[in-house]
Amino acid sequence: MENIIPRRIYDFLKAYPPFSLLPDDLLLQVSQRVLVQYYQPRQEIFHQGDQPGTHIFIVREGAVQLYRETEAEEFLVEQCDEGDVFGIRPMLAEETYALTARAAEETLLYAINIEGFREVMEAHPQVAFYLASNYAAGVGQKYKTANPSQLFLDRSDRAVEHFALMEVQSLERSKPPVTCPPETTIQEAALIMSAQEVGSIIVVNPSDHPVGIMTDKDLRHKVATGKMGLGAPISDIMSSPVITMPSTVTVADVQMEMVKNRINHICLTEDGTPDSRVAGVLSEHDLMVMQGNNPAILIREIRRCKAVEALRDIRDRAEQLLKKYIFQEVSIAFISTVMTEINDEIIIRCIELAEEALASEGQQRPQAKYCWLALGSEGRGEQLLRTDQDNALVFEDVPEDAYERTKAYYLDFAGRVTRLLNEVGFEYCPADMMASNPSWCLSLSEWKQQFSTWIRKPEPKAVMFCTIFFDFRSIHGDRSLSSALTTHIFEALDDQEIFLVYLGKNALQNPPPLTFFRNFVVESSGAHKDEFDIKARAMMPLADAARLLVLHARVGMINNTFRRFERLAELEPQNRELYEQAADAYEILMRYRALQGLKKQNSGRYFNPSDLTKMERINLRNCFRPIKELQSLLNTRFRLALLS
Amino acid sequence: MFKWFKKKPPPDPNAPAFWKAYLESVAAAPYHKKTPVEEIGFVVFDTETTGLDVQEDQILSIGAVRVKNWQLSVEDRLECYIHQEYHPDGKTVAVHGILPGEKGHSIAESEGVRRFLAFAGGDVLVAHHAAFDIAMLNAAIGSAGGGKLQNTVLDTGVLARRAARNPQMARPGAFGLDHLCDIYRIPQSDRHTAPGDAYITALLLLKLLYRLQKRGVDTLGALRSAPGMGL
Repeated sequence: MENIIPRRIYDFLKAYPPFSLLPDDLLLQVSQRVLVQYYQPRQEIFHQGDQPGTHIFIVREGAVQLYRETEAEEFLVEQCDEGDVFGIRPMLAEETYALTARAAEETLLYAINIEGFREVMEAHPQVAFYLASNYAAGVGQKYKTANPSQLFLDRSDRAVEHFALMEVQSLERSKPPVTCPPETTIQEAALIMSAQEVGSIIVVNPSDHPVGIMTDKDLRHKVATGKMGLGAPISDIMSSPVITMPSTVTVADVQMEMVKNRINHICLTEDGTPDSRVAGVLSEHDLMVMQGNNPAILIREIRRCKAVEALRDIRDRAEQLLKKYIFQEVSIAFISTVMTEINDEIIIRCIELAEEALASEGQQRPQAKYCWLALGSEGRGEQLLRTDQDNALVFEDVPEDAYERTKAYYLDFAGRVTRLLNEVGFEYCPADMMASNPSWCLSLSEWKQQFSTWIRKPEPKAVMFCTIFFDFRSIHGDRSLSSALTTHIFEALDDQEIFLVYLGKNALQNPPPLTFFRNFVVESSGAHKDEFDIKARAMMPLADAARLLVLHARVGMINNTFRRFERLAELEPQNRELYEQAADAYEILMRYRALQGLKKQNSGRYFNPSDLTKMERINLRNCFRPIKELQSLLNTRFRLALLS
Repeated sequence: MFKWFKKKPPPDPNAPAFWKAYLESVAAAPYHKKTPVEEIGFVVFDTETTGLDVQEDQILSIGAVRVKNWQLSVEDRLECYIHQEYHPDGKTVAVHGILPGEKGHSIAESEGVRRFLAFAGGDVLVAHHAAFDIAMLNAAIGSAGGGKLQNTVLDTGVLARRAARNPQMARPGAFGLDHLCDIYRIPQSDRHTAPGDAYITALLLLKLLYRLQKRGVDTLGALRSAPGMGL
């Protein structure tokens, strides 16, 4: 009955990070020292430039707005609602407050004295880490880049990647065990095995503990050869003792054990020893089936695939693989490499199937070579979920008299490929940006002409096309055609630098929202929306910025947005930190989009902030700041203000 | 302050030490009619009792928190549970869940009274429907050898009526603590424990003070005035 009041504070705090990370007794101690403070609407909590106070704050009720003041005006930087922590600057640095905090409405705060809380942080580094990342977002100064991916991963990326390659999946699919007592005759046991369609039987004692195992191989070697009679008890030929493992083992563990003991079956028991109940049995064959969702096996199957239906099935399985990777928090760099490889193989297989069909119909392939180009997100190697297809085809220049025939063939061919891709689940592009469109199935000179026109006359529509076509990547065919195109684009840009200004203007079209507040997306204007378009409002601004900056730096052949940022970080050390943050942000956004898409069985593009946990909202919101800083960099570098 | 001196009975030389100390702290309290809201120490409290009869029933627990300058410190609080020999008809047990005579951390009534007086000192007492709690405390203080409470007392029920736009239109029960908590969005997780209700009443007080202050009620004198007199 004691401590009723601190308990009320405790009950609230324990629902929110970082307090949720603290052990109960410690949190109760913290709750004992809380100040409950009341603020009127518009009342100031602290002022930018003030000496740091003695408390950090948690919003208990109401809302707090954080502003940055300049001589001319003030900007709303952040809005905190119930459970948000703010004003933690005195905790982390001996500096003055960087922002002004004001109650937006009638507000109750819990203020926690930093004396004593510092020790808590030292003993619980996850609390300090949480505050540090929150502080980076809320104050908008320099980011903590020491270990950015920890925002998302609790292990290092490298370790996770290693595990993923080892295929650490829990063996939830081991079969229910088929068992018999030791006095069972060999014949009876063989009959049970055929009836159950299994290749092994576990011999158990009355407590269901395994004492031996008989497999098909024992029947072949010891019985069929006449060494042992059918009426003999199974205990005469069973292998004993049995190699056992706990049912929580991974595929990799089981494989190791099989190799080590030169056996093909592993018996799983409740505690992993032979002195507990049998839980299941795994054969080498079971393992192979389970590993069917391994990228290498999927790719091998794609290459062998004869029909498009099977390709669709494989792509569905790839989605399962994606799901597993996302939930295991495997790094996005690794996931996108794997998924791009799989997508590319599917496209290549569709191309080959189309070529085979054309050949079987007796259509002769023209002399001119071609190159199949992926555009948009697949061109950037960032397509995790199946979205619509964007592609184009370039063929070698041909004499005028051969042009019609060549183009007709490739259009027919491209039509077949896009149809096949559609059947695999890559929907047709609604804007018809596909190689089957006569405008996007062109000879090399026509393509050069097309890019030159876009660059010389950057009308809004041309700029829009550029954002898709400039991310082309050769998938199949003669790669010299695509590199010729890259070279041409760089030459054309040299004469027309102003074009980049137009691209820059386009890249600034969609600034990210300010933040999330309760279940809303808050715009910088203060407006609230309940739906968040992660593609338009966070991913495209980053992809557009990366493209513009690499074009400006004349870096070709890197299409992936986060790799573009990594390259830019090398090229411009002065902006390294920002580019690295942008790359991290992009990876986090890709992960959220895939997560939402998998959850909702759609493209994952639109979602409501209420679909996210508090922590997820904070992670996502942290991505907005590098976008804003990047946009202001573009604005300066390309003097975009002059254009508007 | 002068007014209080005038009213105060001459100090009884035989009074118990706790009562003398209490009277001294009341005399030393710096409050007067013009004391601004920010400078007033409000001791917001609640008592749980065996029943509603001031003559017959007894205090089972006392909870109090201090509100000053728009904040309260969780450390600066009183939570005490009183061990009563008296056995009532058991009716109120269902409401507050404390069985009379339940041991544990409970203390004697006289000790509870001493702790309360030491905690409150000369600050302004605030309770919801305060008259009953004050009467209960006065009875208990009397049993312990002291006199009547000398503090200024405010009632959040009365303050809420003053803060309401149309108090005449209010329906019965509109100024009950439950209903006020709904209106002022105060979560009620520990209703019917003295500390829980004291805490809730303190949050209610903060919200009422803000609303009254907006209408110019910003001194102790104004807070004490009856509706229509000080506004």
